Amino acid sequence: MSRSSLVPADFQARLPQDQLVRGDPLEAERIDVDVLFVGAGPAGLAGAIQLARLVKQDNEGGAGIGEITIGVLEKAGALGEHSLSGAVLNPRPFRELFPDVKDADFPFRTKVEKEAIYFLSANKYRRIPTPPTMRNHGNYVASIGEVVRWLGERAAEAGVDIFAGFPAGALRVEGERVVGVRTVAAGLERDGSPGSGYMPATDIAAKVTALAEGSRGLLAQSYLEWQGIASQNPQIYALGVKELWETKRPLDKVIHTMGWPLPRTAFGGSFMYPLEPNLVALGLVVGLDYRDANLDVHELTQRMKLHPLFRPYLEGGEMVEWGAKTIPEGGYHSIPQRRHGDGVVILGDSAGLVDVPSLKGIHYAMQSGIYAAQAIFAALKHDDTSSTRLSAYDELLNDSYLIHDLYRTRNMRLAFKSGFYSGSGKAGLMALTGGRFPGGRIDVEEDARAPRTTTECEEFTSDGELTFSKVDAVFKSGNVTRDTIPSHLIPNENVGAELARFYTHMCPAAVYEEVDGELRVNAPNCVDCKATDVVGPRWTPREGGSGPAYKRM
Amino acid sequence: MKIAVCIKRVPDTETRIKIGADGKSIDESGVKFVPNPFDEYAVEEALKLKEQTNGEVVAVCLGPDASQETLRTALAMGADRGILLKVESLPQDPLVVARALAAELEQGGYDLVLFGKLAVDDYDQAVGSMVGELLGLPSVSAVTRLEITDGHATAQREVEGGVEVVEFTLPAIVTAEKGLNEPRYPALRGIMLAKKKPLDIKDLELDEGGIEVLELTLPPDRKAGRIIGEGAAAVPALVDALRNEAKVL
Repeated sequence: MSRSSLVPADFQARLPQDQLVRGDPLEAERIDVDVLFVGAGPAGLAGAIQLARLVKQDNEGGAGIGEITIGVLEKAGALGEHSLSGAVLNPRPFRELFPDVKDADFPFRTKVEKEAIYFLSANKYRRIPTPPTMRNHGNYVASIGEVVRWLGERAAEAGVDIFAGFPAGALRVEGERVVGVRTVAAGLERDGSPGSGYMPATDIAAKVTALAEGSRGLLAQSYLEWQGIASQNPQIYALGVKELWETKRPLDKVIHTMGWPLPRTAFGGSFMYPLEPNLVALGLVVGLDYRDANLDVHELTQRMKLHPLFRPYLEGGEMVEWGAKTIPEGGYHSIPQRRHGDGVVILGDSAGLVDVPSLKGIHYAMQSGIYAAQAIFAALKHDDTSSTRLSAYDELLNDSYLIHDLYRTRNMRLAFKSGFYSGSGKAGLMALTGGRFPGGRIDVEEDARAPRTTTECEEFTSDGELTFSKVDAVFKSGNVTRDTIPSHLIPNENVGAELARFYTHMCPAAVYEEVDGELRVNAPNCVDCKATDVVGPRWTPREGGSGPAYKRM
Repeated sequence: MKIAVCIKRVPDTETRIKIGADGKSIDESGVKFVPNPFDEYAVEEALKLKEQTNGEVVAVCLGPDASQETLRTALAMGADRGILLKVESLPQDPLVVARALAAELEQGGYDLVLFGKLAVDDYDQAVGSMVGELLGLPSVSAVTRLEITDGHATAQREVEGGVEVVEFTLPAIVTAEKGLNEPRYPALRGIMLAKKKPLDIKDLELDEGGIEVLELTLPPDRKAGRIIGEGAAAVPALVDALRNEAKVL
């Protein structure tokens, strides 16, 4: 039987660089700050807090650099509303950033006391040994939303200006130097004309712009492309779908699973964490290099909940929140060769700083923010924010535990490019040999280059109690984006039925539908997970406050 | 013209309300708080009047310390300064709140005091009118249009099936209804300026007043719908169900 296969990259638009990198003069009505962090996640906020602290200490010693304005831009309507993570977090950078705060006073939920990893088949589960990289002794279960709001309060106390509801839509440049960003206009009608509540885009000028936009950051991508900054491998991504449940039955341990419901041609696994004994976060994470065009991460997450490992915890409970987000998974070889430039640094997920074998990125994000703050402070002190001066950020990173750890596990995720079973064997050997096996570097291609083949799939119907349709799910993400907003997605003009169906399955938020062989785009449903930007129509930022409103994700 | 706008910090209307362990209050964990939406109409109206007459707009809030954020929102929209009447917790009795606000407003020499017509958390619709009474000022509620010239005001109120037009002289109390205007969003510059605007915090100790909450309960879950049939043949069964089961006909 001949099956057609499609390569998503063949249908992807290029980044609209003429709109994203703008060299025309800044408008007169601009706002000036000294340092601007783009994105109020763990990276941007940790950076802002550390920088404010260094400036304060410097001024207290006399002969300091004086008052510095530090701004943080955030596209969500309120802090944490676009933040989603598992999350089991490593508290290390919290202790470094707040040496006077006791662990009990951090915004964590429960300390990990028990954990288990299971290998799933369709109806059974078998406990398997926990790999060393996944041991969570000393780590905490947390809600990244709560962490981000807490960091936001600390930042505000330190005098940082936080602008929630203002996405950055373009880099402002002079020659090779980044001189700030332009925000995104609000209140546009569907045809792009100003409506009621129209607010024009504003230029924000900064001596240093720190791009901390999170996974698949638009301006970070745009900067790297503009400057021709490569990485040894392209960045690759996974898509995670997560739900928060209030359960009748308590959960007392952190659970990870491998195997079912994923096909052998996909890489990923599931998680279930107790924030409280009866408040449980669960989800499924799947590499976007999956080969089956019908693979649907949301639907697999729904099926997964019916498995005997999950179902007993969820029955009689209530799903209170739903969300989705991509994760950069390329590791060491996908980190851009330079994370700094004239007037700019790139932090956290936007720079690919995620430790995939331990399934963690929050501590790396914060640590990169702390290092960036040190480099930016030194640059301000010397009144020189050139690339040469800001290269101190990369030096700090390169000398850190972060890059050291990422180097040791550099090929672990990449091994799975050839499928799960051979991948697990290789990954095991890598762990035993400290990353030396198999040696060299495993080449990978962009997720969008992986060919997709359509296979037969069973229709799935949700029951509204344990399982939910995508439309119900989007409602539970808190998404109340205005229906009359202009579409922020850029599909190719010639999307046939097959590609439209691939998009339909790929998007967890029912943005895409195949109707009579054509693609229909329900843009307001988008929860900014960015999977579409990785393998489908390109994503651009919408007016502030659009998208999900996560509370405790 | 000197204008006061009284605003309140309330749970976001999108919030899923959970009742606290005591059964008498809401569980505030994970609840997002926002300025009361009706108060935003009041702030917007004050700012428009200020733009016409070059006056001063003072935002006044009675609430817990976290209400500073609510006041900063009003300052970011364009109010000139804020006053927080800080209490540990809000009394249930609107008269206690009205007395505290009246005591503050009395000293201010305001030409106009604006409120939202109600707060979306308690739906009392009481404080604005009570303040009017306590201060001996004319009080016009649920206003959808307001015009002021030389201390003389005309307001429109939506009443059942029509519009009522009211004339009064300043100083006065006006409460804002949806439709009065479209509140502006704080702009970036406004948010930056708001940080530097004065915010006066006064500690208050209020008694609980004459109202005690005995119990809070959530509305019962809505029953799932039922499809009775299709087409004209189903009409008699539908009419019967509406008349005898739902008792709406």
